[in-house]
Amino acid sequence: MTKFYGLIGEFRTSGEAAAVARELREAGFARWDVYGPAPLEDIEHATPTRRGIVITAIMVAAAIVGACWGYFLQYWGAVIDFPINVGGRPLNGWPGFVPSAWEICALFTVYFGFFAFLASCRLPRLHQPIFAAPHFERATQDRFFVCVEAADARYDAARLREIFARHDAVATSEVPA
Amino acid sequence: MPEGAVELGYDGPVIGPEQDFSSVSATLSDLVLERPTPRWWYVGAGISAAGLVLFVIACVWTFVGGVGVWGVNIPVAWGFALANYVWWIGIASGGTFISSLFYLIGSDWRNGVNRTAETMTLCAAAAAGMMPILHLGRQGLFYWLFPYSTVMGVWPQFLSPLLWDFFALLCYILNSIVFWYIGLVPDCATLRDRATKRWQQIFYGILALGWRGSGRDWHGYKATYLVMAGIMAPMVVSVHSIVGLDFAAGLIGGWHSTQWPPYFFIGALYSGWAVVLALMIPLRRFYSLERIVTERHLDVIAKLMLATGLMLAYCYLLEAMEPFYTGDPTKVAAYMGSAFGHYGATFWARNTLNIFIPQLLWLPLVRRNKIALELISIGIVAGMWIERYNFVVSALAQDYMPSKWGWFGATFWDWAILIGSAGMAMFGFFAFIRLLPVVSMFEIREIIHKRRGSDASKGGRS
Repeated sequence: MTKFYGLIGEFRTSGEAAAVARELREAGFARWDVYGPAPLEDIEHATPTRRGIVITAIMVAAAIVGACWGYFLQYWGAVIDFPINVGGRPLNGWPGFVPSAWEICALFTVYFGFFAFLASCRLPRLHQPIFAAPHFERATQDRFFVCVEAADARYDAARLREIFARHDAVATSEVPA
Repeated sequence: MPEGAVELGYDGPVIGPEQDFSSVSATLSDLVLERPTPRWWYVGAGISAAGLVLFVIACVWTFVGGVGVWGVNIPVAWGFALANYVWWIGIASGGTFISSLFYLIGSDWRNGVNRTAETMTLCAAAAAGMMPILHLGRQGLFYWLFPYSTVMGVWPQFLSPLLWDFFALLCYILNSIVFWYIGLVPDCATLRDRATKRWQQIFYGILALGWRGSGRDWHGYKATYLVMAGIMAPMVVSVHSIVGLDFAAGLIGGWHSTQWPPYFFIGALYSGWAVVLALMIPLRRFYSLERIVTERHLDVIAKLMLATGLMLAYCYLLEAMEPFYTGDPTKVAAYMGSAFGHYGATFWARNTLNIFIPQLLWLPLVRRNKIALELISIGIVAGMWIERYNFVVSALAQDYMPSKWGWFGATFWDWAILIGSAGMAMFGFFAFIRLLPVVSMFEIREIIHKRRGSDASKGGRS
């Protein structure tokens, strides 16, 4: 059992944090992440993840399912379950089913996207182990952090301290478990 | 203005160049966390709360007495409630459109106003959502609109625009809540981390859901938000177009025309910009946000308003052309009735407030005078309501049979519903500006980062 959650370095700029991220990635570390107060491009490029494409795929799938379900709901009601002949008009008046199907499609897309996003971040989880790191409250304000989990197979505190220091870390500390 | 800071001006940047990550986090969070409730807030929230109480009373009285307590009757069976509905949903649409469309096209000024615009959307959509329920007549049976067949085994009529409206409004309100909330999550995390009082830490901690700001989380966040914005922008267009189709599918002379979807949508955007401007001008002054919501923001929205006003003028011309082009005597009579008949005053009031006066926005002098801008915006908001009122009522009053013509007169309860719904929406807005950051902090940080490069967070406290 590890005593610590991981080792965390605090940085002033996103560029420094992104440089550390690139180095960790090249060195083959797996369980690490960068923390910062905004979605910034340099960090994005340095952090490997496929979440964006997965969530987008889920949302597109939800849009298709929602549109089909929205159409089917109306088709079922108007054609199969309770058909009413109004002056010989077609029961499956598809142009008139499109607007509601579209609204339901939009509803599905947004809600499935929201829940897929929450699931991808493992939220809601009101207390995260990383909150125990010193100064971490500034990760949502003006500082950047890189944390490597002690559970990482390559975890080596001395080497990580050296990497953080080389990129001008303001502070390096161990996060209690 | 901070010492030594440069003037921003109307052609200047969208954010004060001295702003960095620390100052933005501090300025916007402290408005909510630290600053004692200002006196103007009590005045505004108090007046709004009075309006809310009036609204509750008027709703209860309508539920008890039926829609007969309003001035509606045959032939004018739709009055204020329908005009209010179209007006409120239009205002709501403008807010979502600013937030989603200008996100998609990457306008940096959007980040200073999108939170206010989205909140205004939610408040307006809540007011809009009440109106169809109120004017159902038998309000207790509103659930018959839901698509399920347990009520006597019958389904709603899916081909009716009124049912499209139900789906559009319901899905739109539900989506707006999520679209607004997902934008708030990272900002609530900032508030949670800056909060010093226990209740604030708990309140914002729950709202933040445990957000950490991890790079991978941000990656998923941006993808989600982009797709959401991509679906919200066309959704807004569809919602207000469906409102227009409600009328187009009616057989009334003044309503039965395919031009209403774009006509209504452009009017919706117009009233939306106007409300955003009318709220932002006092808000940035009272909260001293001049360095974050700059004069450039006001200038951009004023120009947008002018352009949309010209589009609306084109719609008004088309509205005048159609009856004479088709030569249909019913349509001609309906149009002439709305312009020169019993309701002619409202027709010219709408033209004056929506088209003639806003032409002053061509002049930089007027665009840069905040009082003039505020007055023009409020005039447009009122003008848009008058337009909807004229549209709904005058068409019904002068139908096919002159012997059937009759006029609508508003009662006290009509006005109570209108003023009360405004009170409800404003109360929601006042609650928001006291509890949540009025400008999206993380999106402002993105702009600062773009302008200053990766040392944007330097220069704060260390």
